Amino acid sequence: MKRVLRHDIGRALAYLFVLELGLVPAILFWPSFRDNLGALKAMAPLPMLKDMVDKLGDGGAASYVLGQHFFKGCNTLGTAAAVLFAVGAVAGQVHRGTLEIWLARPVSRSRLLFERYLSGALGTIVPVFLATATIPYLLTHVDEQMDPGGLLAAATHQSLFLLAFFSVSFFLSTVGSNPMRIAFGLLIFSTLEFSLYLVKQATHYSIFRLVDLQAFIRVYNSEKIQIPYLVGCLAVIAGSWIASTIAFARRVP
Amino acid sequence: MSDAGRIEVRGLTRRFGDKVALHPLELSVGPGGITGLLGPNGSGKSTFLRMLLGLVRPNAGTASVDGVALSGDGTAIRRRVSYMPGEIAVYGEMSGREHLAWLLRGREPSASDRALEIAGELGLPLHKRVRAYSQGMKRQLFFAAALGPDVPVRLLDEPTDGLDPSVRRCVLEILERDAANGATVLLSSHHLGEVERSCTRFLFLHQGELLADESASGLIERYSRVIHLGFRKGEPVPGEQVFLAAGAETVRIDGVDVTAYLGACSPLEYLAQLDRGDCPVPSGVEYGRFKMEELYRDLYGVGGV
Repeated sequence: MKRVLRHDIGRALAYLFVLELGLVPAILFWPSFRDNLGALKAMAPLPMLKDMVDKLGDGGAASYVLGQHFFKGCNTLGTAAAVLFAVGAVAGQVHRGTLEIWLARPVSRSRLLFERYLSGALGTIVPVFLATATIPYLLTHVDEQMDPGGLLAAATHQSLFLLAFFSVSFFLSTVGSNPMRIAFGLLIFSTLEFSLYLVKQATHYSIFRLVDLQAFIRVYNSEKIQIPYLVGCLAVIAGSWIASTIAFARRVP
Repeated sequence: MSDAGRIEVRGLTRRFGDKVALHPLELSVGPGGITGLLGPNGSGKSTFLRMLLGLVRPNAGTASVDGVALSGDGTAIRRRVSYMPGEIAVYGEMSGREHLAWLLRGREPSASDRALEIAGELGLPLHKRVRAYSQGMKRQLFFAAALGPDVPVRLLDEPTDGLDPSVRRCVLEILERDAANGATVLLSSHHLGEVERSCTRFLFLHQGELLADESASGLIERYSRVIHLGFRKGEPVPGEQVFLAAGAETVRIDGVDVTAYLGACSPLEYLAQLDRGDCPVPSGVEYGRFKMEELYRDLYGVGGV
């Protein structure tokens, strides 16, 4: 457990650092963005992107930060981190040949799996909350402010999505043997889903529609997570966890 | 009869798809002593050991170790058993000491001290990262971890494979000490010569079936009745009758190689009888030393091992 924790804490800190690395210049760039909104809109190549720039400008600093931090930063880095934390959990052990020695100790399989899951899940979502917590302070540098309650709701909304993505990736790790293949498959899936999101006629079929700028603005303003979204994410998380435990119990070294 | 330190197996079976890895197996091992589980690669030795640990689920049958039935994921059994895997894979980034601690998770604190002591006896550089270890050193590290816990049963999969003779001797001495203290040791090997001096009993597996169950003395006694004679190529090999007349019960002639299965007479008497008969002087006589494939062929009539 210590070894896993040490690895996951290291990865989570790196992930938090990169999130902050994107967030700090984005917030400091806000005044310039606000002043050049018209030019930026004209430069946007796709109608979907023009709409997005519109929404960023219309909602002021709050929309801009929600877009930069959650839609752009956490969606891209978060899904990558979720995959990174998940795929090595079991498939990594199989790939390096250590599954047998991992399972041969007098520790139950359910405990081993839960430790991996918990460690990876926390590694995926804690940096989102930590980075979000720095937003009010960073905004003081550009004379803006955001509601902490709304930010917390948005971070929770984002975390539920990432946790669902992590859980599905984790399940794939319990049935797969090659972490690189699983990660590559998930990367292709995410890319296709994001491409779908950018097509106006098909955008509703993309999972990224659940965590786009519009969704974050709605959650931020209402300070509430929508029940269907919450239930959907929890169902995916619970279903993936149950499927993972069943698959892992049958796993033969 | 107490179940302490005993391995009991009743009808244990495992299939992988259409292939039967282990036919229904009936077995009782221990308490105490070193039992060798022998067989060629793919005979089902590792599968059997993994099943006893709960790592591979049986399709049928039951097993118990130290009075605890194999059920669920086998955690209850793994608390009473230490295990050394046959295929050695490591976390190379850990030092030897860290890796030992990792392997001993869930064991009593004194297990670590004992494992460190054994690692010291084997001369392992525990401060070094495991990635710098040779394959033999990695095996010794796992051996030390398997001998650390104070458990009644130890399952060791190929513990001497790839070790040089001096280290192998040291490993077997440590095992003999452990067995003398009451531990039940079940070790697998595909090379009889590596473990024959330490085992008090041998179980021979072939294609997932228990071919024979022999005590060490019984095996030596049986094999002492087999003699191999080699003749020079090009020279005529005498007919079967010559070898039978000298006192053999049965004879197998394969080109210039002759295997005689002796009856009541000793090998020396048999050679003397051959010399008195019409038999030319063989170019080679082998007796008392045997390879696994010869053993399977000569004693159990199984070819193509």
